[in-house]
Amino acid sequence: MNEIITMTNLSKTFRTLNRHEGLKGSIRDLFSRDYKYVKAVDSVSASIEKGSIVGYLGPNGAGKSTTIKMMTGILQPTSGEIIVNGLVPYRNRVENAANIGVVFGQRSQLWWSLPVIESFKVLKEIYKIDTEVYKSNLKLFNDIVDLEPLYMKPVRQMSLGQRTLCDIVAAFLHDPKIVFLDEPTIGLDVSMKSRIRDIIMHINKLKGTTIILTTHDIGDVEALCRQAVIIDKGKMVFNDNFENLKNRFGKYRTLRIARDPKTDAAMLDEINEICQNDPAVVLNTQDETKDEWFELLINEDKTPLARILSHLMNKYGVKDIKIDEIRTEDIIRKIYEG
Amino acid sequence: MKTDLKSYIKIYFMLITQDFKSKMQYRADFLISLAAMLATNFTGLISFWLIFRTIPAIKGFSYNEILFIYGFSLLASVPMQLFFDNLWQLGDYCMNGNFLRYCFKPVNIFFYYVSETFDAKGLGQLAFGLIMFIYAWIRTGIPVTAGNIAVLLLMMFGASMSLIGLMIMSSAFSFVSLYGNSMMSFMIRFRDYSRYPVSIFNPVFKFLFTFIIPMGFLAFYPSLYFLRPGDHNLMSLLTPIAGIIIFYLGYKLWIWLAVRYAGTGT
Repeated sequence: MNEIITMTNLSKTFRTLNRHEGLKGSIRDLFSRDYKYVKAVDSVSASIEKGSIVGYLGPNGAGKSTTIKMMTGILQPTSGEIIVNGLVPYRNRVENAANIGVVFGQRSQLWWSLPVIESFKVLKEIYKIDTEVYKSNLKLFNDIVDLEPLYMKPVRQMSLGQRTLCDIVAAFLHDPKIVFLDEPTIGLDVSMKSRIRDIIMHINKLKGTTIILTTHDIGDVEALCRQAVIIDKGKMVFNDNFENLKNRFGKYRTLRIARDPKTDAAMLDEINEICQNDPAVVLNTQDETKDEWFELLINEDKTPLARILSHLMNKYGVKDIKIDEIRTEDIIRKIYEG
Repeated sequence: MKTDLKSYIKIYFMLITQDFKSKMQYRADFLISLAAMLATNFTGLISFWLIFRTIPAIKGFSYNEILFIYGFSLLASVPMQLFFDNLWQLGDYCMNGNFLRYCFKPVNIFFYYVSETFDAKGLGQLAFGLIMFIYAWIRTGIPVTAGNIAVLLLMMFGASMSLIGLMIMSSAFSFVSLYGNSMMSFMIRFRDYSRYPVSIFNPVFKFLFTFIIPMGFLAFYPSLYFLRPGDHNLMSLLTPIAGIIIFYLGYKLWIWLAVRYAGTGT
């Protein structure tokens, strides 16, 4: 196996003060020794193969950024072991930093007032990038996403999309072995999102860069990732091939039934009753007065979709139906919700 | 991969020339803040002059001698203003979490942080301080010898380093408290006292300005070397060493707290 990151029983515990309410409480807090210990990351063991694109998912506050911080060496694990590129990141922050690139979707790493090409020149110096490598990389990025028109523009004047694009290019400039992307497509329009996915995909294929992607945008994961790691409340709840994620919940189907004003009320009652008696059927319709479809999520392992459908058809008659496989989004939500 | 001194210097020059260029693009902003800076210095000087018009001398220090100390303090503040101005932003960076971005590069975090800005306004202060200091130097009749100028540069170095060290220390409070900036403003107020002879203060403050918040090294002690050459005051000879020690302590504290902060803050 060709592992570039290995984590063994990795844990990080934070100590926080138990805060009390009100003014009196705040004064008590000043002298309080009443700490609680929060396990932000709880014995996570996983390994990431060289050259893969890994989706690192989890709800807000699950411990994603804590893990990333341990991988980048700015945070020391409480217990357990982590090896990145054959180094213990916390003890070799500087050496480790030379081999990685980091992008935070919402926070630019470039110099705010500098034209972006000047930022690149400074990075060339910081990472000691060979002039030939630097030139060929710039050309490469330019071919994938047309960047040259932006070169003279200060980062401060850029749109969010342009800035993110430059940030990503900056992270790949020194041919790092691993790049961490934290919500790179947050707040971007559809075309910019796809440009960014393009460049990530391209460079990964071309250079074999390992990419760790944390995101809430399932589209990113579907477009890019082969492996998915999902953590929740500090614990790893899924670590496998992305395809297996679908298979694991593959028996779920979504059934949509067109609503008809004549039979609507009766059918809704009926569906609600079915849902109550059978936990394998869930009514997903958001707005019961406006939606044109009833949306039912059915676990076919337990209840065949056909049975529900034929039952409803016989009783009320149905104008139109749609049947879909479960969406990745729903799978992830199911995992988060346990 | 260790970044050596040569590349640090190169990176630094690349950054400050770029920063200077980009600030020049906002000419109006630059000129207004320069004018404001000169006005602040000027009003400071006027109130100083008004006080000393009525009091010809304090504790044996003449008007010109105190002007010398004042000018020394202004000049010694210039490097802080020019090269370390970004420390004032640290509170904001820590509060909104943007400080983290300085932790992912294979260079020293403190260097990376401080190198980001070059405050050209400091050049205005340099000109102002220089005129005032040269005037006071001539009026006090201190001999212009190569030796004196060499010592002056050494003293200036020590004094600047101690101010920078103190400001680094107070900015480091941003890592642990939400009000890091107020600590810096507090320190700057103390700097203003450095314009007066430390010996005019009562013993408590004298002790405070020498050992606790050693602002005495910013102007008074080094100036004594020139104003009272016969005294061989130990404190004035210690200025360069004190500067290096204070800077070193400030730097170490800063790095220590920065690493701790990066670990906890999101």
